[in-house]
Amino acid sequence: MKKIFLAAMSLAVLPLLVQAKPTNKELKIGISQEFESLNLLIASTVAAHYMGPLVIRTLNTLDPDAKWYPMLAKQIPTIKNGLAKIVTVDGKKKIVATWEIIDKAKWGDGTDLTCADFQFTLKVGTNNNVSTAERETITLVEKIDFDPKTPRKCIFTYEKAKWDFANLPQFYPLPKHLESEIYEKYKAEPLGYDKNTNYVKNPTNPGLYCGPYVVSEMKLGDHVTMVRNKYFYGPQAKIEKIIFKLIPNTGTLEANLRSGTIDMISNLGLTFDQALALDKKVKAEKLPYDVQFVQSNTYEHIDLNLDNPILKDINVRKALLHAINRDDLVKALFEGKQPPALHFIDPKDPWYTADPKFVKTYRYSKRDADRLLTEAGWKKNDKDGYRYKDGKKLSLSLMSTAGNKTRETVEAYLQEEWKQVGVEITIKNQPGRVFFGETTRKHAFEGMAMYAWASNPENNPRSTQHSKSIPSAKNSYSGQNQPGWVNPKMDAAIDAMDLEFDYNKRLDLAHEMVKYYSEDIPVLPLYYRADISVVPKNLKNFRMSGHQFYETYNAENWSLE
Amino acid sequence: MSSYILRRIIQTMIMIALVSYVCFFLMSLMPGDPIELMLSSNPKMTTADVERLRELYGLNQPATTRYINWVKTIAHGDLGYSRTYRVPVTEIIGARLLNSFILSLIALIFSLAIAIPLGVFSALRPNSKLDTFVSIFSFTGISVPSFWLGLLLILIFAVKLGWLPAGGTETIDAEFSSSWRYFWDRGLYIILPVLSLSLQQIGRFVRFVRSSMRETLQTDFVRTAKAKGLSMHDVIWKHAFRNALIPVITIIALSISTIFSGALLTETVFAYQGVGKLIYDSIMANDYNVAMVSFIISVSMVLIMSLVADLLYGVIDPRISYS
Repeated sequence: MKKIFLAAMSLAVLPLLVQAKPTNKELKIGISQEFESLNLLIASTVAAHYMGPLVIRTLNTLDPDAKWYPMLAKQIPTIKNGLAKIVTVDGKKKIVATWEIIDKAKWGDGTDLTCADFQFTLKVGTNNNVSTAERETITLVEKIDFDPKTPRKCIFTYEKAKWDFANLPQFYPLPKHLESEIYEKYKAEPLGYDKNTNYVKNPTNPGLYCGPYVVSEMKLGDHVTMVRNKYFYGPQAKIEKIIFKLIPNTGTLEANLRSGTIDMISNLGLTFDQALALDKKVKAEKLPYDVQFVQSNTYEHIDLNLDNPILKDINVRKALLHAINRDDLVKALFEGKQPPALHFIDPKDPWYTADPKFVKTYRYSKRDADRLLTEAGWKKNDKDGYRYKDGKKLSLSLMSTAGNKTRETVEAYLQEEWKQVGVEITIKNQPGRVFFGETTRKHAFEGMAMYAWASNPENNPRSTQHSKSIPSAKNSYSGQNQPGWVNPKMDAAIDAMDLEFDYNKRLDLAHEMVKYYSEDIPVLPLYYRADISVVPKNLKNFRMSGHQFYETYNAENWSLE
Repeated sequence: MSSYILRRIIQTMIMIALVSYVCFFLMSLMPGDPIELMLSSNPKMTTADVERLRELYGLNQPATTRYINWVKTIAHGDLGYSRTYRVPVTEIIGARLLNSFILSLIALIFSLAIAIPLGVFSALRPNSKLDTFVSIFSFTGISVPSFWLGLLLILIFAVKLGWLPAGGTETIDAEFSSSWRYFWDRGLYIILPVLSLSLQQIGRFVRFVRSSMRETLQTDFVRTAKAKGLSMHDVIWKHAFRNALIPVITIIALSISTIFSGALLTETVFAYQGVGKLIYDSIMANDYNVAMVSFIISVSMVLIMSLVADLLYGVIDPRISYS
């Protein structure tokens, strides 16, 4: 027994293995989310879109500074540079833009990437038998024409004259020379193309890819291996091979990193609390990694059900906000790594403003909260400390996703804060599947619902704040205005935004939206979440984006020195 | 005997059909259909997108119609298409079933190889030091959560000692000079999941074998066998052990039936590409085709193995007859 104990003790004190530094030969990246086949036109998993830019490039994308960046295009067309113009056809305003594909653009088998590929993609993406998840980007483009003599000069005609016509980061080209035959064969069969595309049947065909890498091996549910694409239009990737390894249990990501099974943990890996703990270990043990936290545009907030008689009162909503010390919350729970939120636009977004002219702020003040609640008729009962009106207790339910440690801690914090001003909070958490699939989707929460929205910079909040986006059976519950907020001025600003080509006027409209939002308080802003990656110290040129167009957009420049 | 088997097979088929309908119906009652789940992660999807996708996937039809369509597809030998992975179900499920089968079978054989002798020896020397040690060992095995044990094994053997890989099914991109090298590689990846999975099974099996053996050792026929002057080896293994096997067979048969269901926690902790996590994810994502095929396999295995167990009772105990 003594010997067993000694053996166990000696194992416990064994030093951790020191892993060799990864080199440009290979980089193994751990992800914890399942991925699917890499036909990005139909793929809907976040993991597929994270890996996507390594193998498939689009005309343009958004860089980490929230600036549009041409990839396959020589230049992004604008009205100003003359590559786009507004035309009127049958009394309807449209846009005609010239996208010129760079001369070196080729598929991984050496075939030229031309306008024909984009034309083909448009045809596939708009077929009702193909499961394109979100067709907004695709259907913005009415048609694509080109002269066979200049096959890389594409004339895009847009159905509507919208200012963001050139934002096409999700218009993923498909290789016509490989996919056309399959499409023609199966186009009339529901999901026929989805089932038979080469991305499913023959995913290692290099001709399917036009990014700095091509897929050399793919095992769904396990890993994807990518090797350099010798026909890539840009400089050859510095890292020879990149492997994405699926490790579904986030609790074992760290062990896999430390044992050398992976060299890096992607943004789709650790939870916030796990990352904070690892960051401390990395610093204390001087491990060869950097735990990077980058503020993202994922906006954690509480939706208020505006049909709830208590929450209908603006004074109650204001009081709830006054009673939360958000600075203290982020300091105490997140060590300041997730900044407090003012509204739905994050500080990295060009539309962001904190100007008090537009943003009505509700500083932390229990006194103001007390005053507002008293004005609203909610009187404090000295016996239990809660407020009552007409014999009814000021009690609200707060719902969120069960099992999410961070959210549960925030709920406990808020419950205590609101108790101090006499508001009783009942926490009613549900599994994510029920919470998102039923409760929030169908506007079925009684009081408050806490969760997050991820968007992109310069995003018109139509789907979350327009009154037409209030989920109902009529719109198949496709709207995301969960609080049920109706403000005609906000609707008008949202409608005007799409058609406004002047940048400064758009900025004014965005600020106007923020004003209505902060005045009406349909939502309690909490904080902006951080994106997290754990990277080897010797990884250069890696920069997290903090938005939905991931840092993989320039993987060819990553280097392990 | 053959009419009994035939009757049981027919019962099994009916049961599978009933259970498949119940499973399909229950899944359709789960909140949020797949399109609603897509919507919750993509606010840009429009009402038109929702309607179009519901129609494309047939989700706008009642559950019974969808079930009939699914049965028709299965009858044509097509297991359907996974909405999550966007590949035919056969492509995603085949290799994983095999992996789960290998893992569970090795763990089961390993567990039995350890548990049966331990249980027998423990029963032969009740209240001895060995018996106490075996009892502690088996209760520890039963009590330790498998995910915790998995993490501990990874920490010791992968992180601290570096002897074994922390997770995966095989070395990615490795080129093997021979089949032997390939099996060796697979073997390295399976050791920790097998250990993690076995510890609980050993604990359980030891308790069953011990108690069954203890009961049998006190019966008259064992006393008679001893009185007849048979060697202890024959008394224990030919007479007592054979009779003690009946309850053990039930447990083993039920354990075998879970071989194709995978081991969710173990597979997840060790990033082992098995079917357990696939089933869980397919249910959570409402990936009907994958979930239904998995259900059918699980249910079939349980029913088939309980039939096998019933037949084995007759082989082991001549008093049981199905004629």
